[in-house]
Amino acid sequence: MENKIKIHVVKYRWLWMCLSAFILLPGIITMIYASVTSPSHLPLKVGIDYTGGTVLQYTIDKKVENSALTTIRAELIKNGIDNPSLQIINVNDNITNSATKDIIAVRTKFIAEDDTTTANKITSVMKSSYANSELVSTTSVGPTLGKELFKNSLIALSLACLGIVVYLSFRFQFDFAIAAILALIHDVLFVVGAFAILCYFLNVQIDGLFITALLTVIGFSVHDTIVVFDRIRENLRYYAKKMSFGEIVDASVNQTLARSINTSLTTLITLLALYFFGGVTTKDFVLAMILGIAIGTYSSIFFASMLIDFWRDKKNQPKRA
Amino acid sequence: MKNKILLFWIIVALVIFSIAMIVIKPTKLGLDLVGGSRLVLEAQTTPTIAKITPEMMDSLQFAIENRVNKLGVAETVVQRQGEKRLVVEIPAVKDLNQAKKFLGETAELAFKKEVQDKNGVKWVDTGLTGNDLNRANLSTSSSGQWVVDLEFNDKGTKKFAELTQQLVGKPMAIFFNGELTSAPVIREAIIGGRAQISGGDNGFAYEEAKEMVDLLNAGALPVPAKIIEENTVGATLGADSIEKSKFAGLIGLGLVMIFMIAYYRLPGLIADIALVIYSIILFMLFKMIPVTLTLAGIAGFILSIGMAVDANILIFERTKEELRAGRTLFTAINAGFDRAFTSIFDSNMTTIITCIILYCLGTSIVKGFALTLALGVVVSMFSAITVTKNFMHLIFGTGELKYPALFGLKKDEIGRAYTASETKREKAKFGVLD
Repeated sequence: MENKIKIHVVKYRWLWMCLSAFILLPGIITMIYASVTSPSHLPLKVGIDYTGGTVLQYTIDKKVENSALTTIRAELIKNGIDNPSLQIINVNDNITNSATKDIIAVRTKFIAEDDTTTANKITSVMKSSYANSELVSTTSVGPTLGKELFKNSLIALSLACLGIVVYLSFRFQFDFAIAAILALIHDVLFVVGAFAILCYFLNVQIDGLFITALLTVIGFSVHDTIVVFDRIRENLRYYAKKMSFGEIVDASVNQTLARSINTSLTTLITLLALYFFGGVTTKDFVLAMILGIAIGTYSSIFFASMLIDFWRDKKNQPKRA
Repeated sequence: MKNKILLFWIIVALVIFSIAMIVIKPTKLGLDLVGGSRLVLEAQTTPTIAKITPEMMDSLQFAIENRVNKLGVAETVVQRQGEKRLVVEIPAVKDLNQAKKFLGETAELAFKKEVQDKNGVKWVDTGLTGNDLNRANLSTSSSGQWVVDLEFNDKGTKKFAELTQQLVGKPMAIFFNGELTSAPVIREAIIGGRAQISGGDNGFAYEEAKEMVDLLNAGALPVPAKIIEENTVGATLGADSIEKSKFAGLIGLGLVMIFMIAYYRLPGLIADIALVIYSIILFMLFKMIPVTLTLAGIAGFILSIGMAVDANILIFERTKEELRAGRTLFTAINAGFDRAFTSIFDSNMTTIITCIILYCLGTSIVKGFALTLALGVVVSMFSAITVTKNFMHLIFGTGELKYPALFGLKKDEIGRAYTASETKREKAKFGVLD
């Protein structure tokens, strides 16, 4: 067994705890602040997938200034559109030499099928602002369906957590499963917090794909944690009598360090390629995964292993005394 | 060794088969890539219809299918979703607003008669409806106006004859979608089973009459249905998305391959070949199953490229470690695979668990992502473990590792770790590491 220890997980336990708190706090504060101040009382701005509504997307052949949105919004209200909200979606125009420079998304309340005038009104307002704008996509979600999707998403998230706890308890020990779940919550909280900040400052809205990204992050977070835990499990079998639990944890983390970093790195490479060169629709989705995988790697190295040691340490203390 | 060569040829055959399939079979692209509309219709309960039964859904689906076919677009899809929903997919339709209105229209045709009661005159149902029609035709009246010709089936002919006999000298009203279209006065009993709807005093516009004919021929909806979800993407945006995804995928693949060679040298190159094989097999599966590729699905595919080498990294790191511990090459490679297997298996299982949940509970976009990711994980277990192990054994054989640089190791690193641990060199050679 190698004795090179580059990273001291156990020794600097409090440092890693503080670091985690430091990373998570800005997001949590924003979430609380947004919940209190926003009219919807939600920590994140939710898109039409969950509230119901209609989003019309227009391609624009030039870069759109933020000030232009204010004018268009005023014009839409004048035309009787109920509380429209506008967002600029930046296009990766560096690869395809398409004429599209930006996409403007207009969100409004649900346009029913028998209402053919509302969409036409919005299109004519857009045409008068940008002559070459073109309606390229329409997404509509009925209000009752939105509630249902929201419920399903929450069920999916909880089921995923439950499934993982059951699987890990079965394959490892129960306290490993709990540590993995705490690390997972740590990661999800970070991604949700980061998006709360994006929602607050950049008017990003989360949709069904965001929940998908979160679930993928959950899968990854546990995936990374397992690589470390698997090593702890293996080392415990051989060294349990010779080394303390903390030493085994430290050794295991260091042995798996290259692995943890490299596996995340290759995944990050493909995600970054998707983010910078891929389609515009999946950009936020990819960003959520990039953040999740980066934090997942950190948490599997520092947070999850620190927790499991902390847990066993506390459990053993009364015996020592 | 014989088995290994056999396995090698099986892998080669699989790759050739996959490439052939990829060439022959068309790729099924989702509407967000080719452009088109995806609508979700929900059957609505009314005061008279308290519960939506499966039979109602069957006839609703039938009626909607008929209407969708009337749109004259190829490759439309009408599918059941849950207890009371229908998913309708229409690629590239010109006037979607019109199409939407057309799909949701109940198309309820009713013949009513006048009944006098205390409160005045009322129209009441006669029991003759659009269900009694054989077909409807567009034609012109003697005065040159557009009219709708109705042709009753046997039952309808009988009912209509009886009804008109009763109503001689009285008006009979024709209601379409609850609106009075015309109320001619019956002059004599009509026994031929034919009737004509004129558009009242002003007559029908051509479009109006045509739509009515199409709707009547497609059949009335047994229950009213509403569009509760819509996703429409223009063809240009879709084509743009495909181009960008292809580009991003190739860049991602290229960078991962370079990284693997730079870090793991010869094993890295083997992993790269396995990665290409992985992509080919996975793409073949997409075409064979077939999986409809959506933008989210492609994102799942590209993501899985990064994950597919994941198992290889676990294995190679472990092999390097075993080499450092002084194992022979053959034992080190085997130990690398065996010892890494539990963590690969456990970590992939958790990904599959989340994929299953996503697939069961997600919307169709999410389903596509979950399916491609799960397939990717399963295929990657094959490519990263079976394929790589086979290639490693065939290339390195059973001898000593003469050039540690092939593994990115320095010569003096080999066997050095064993001096630091308590494992005896002889013991280490047999694969026991304590």
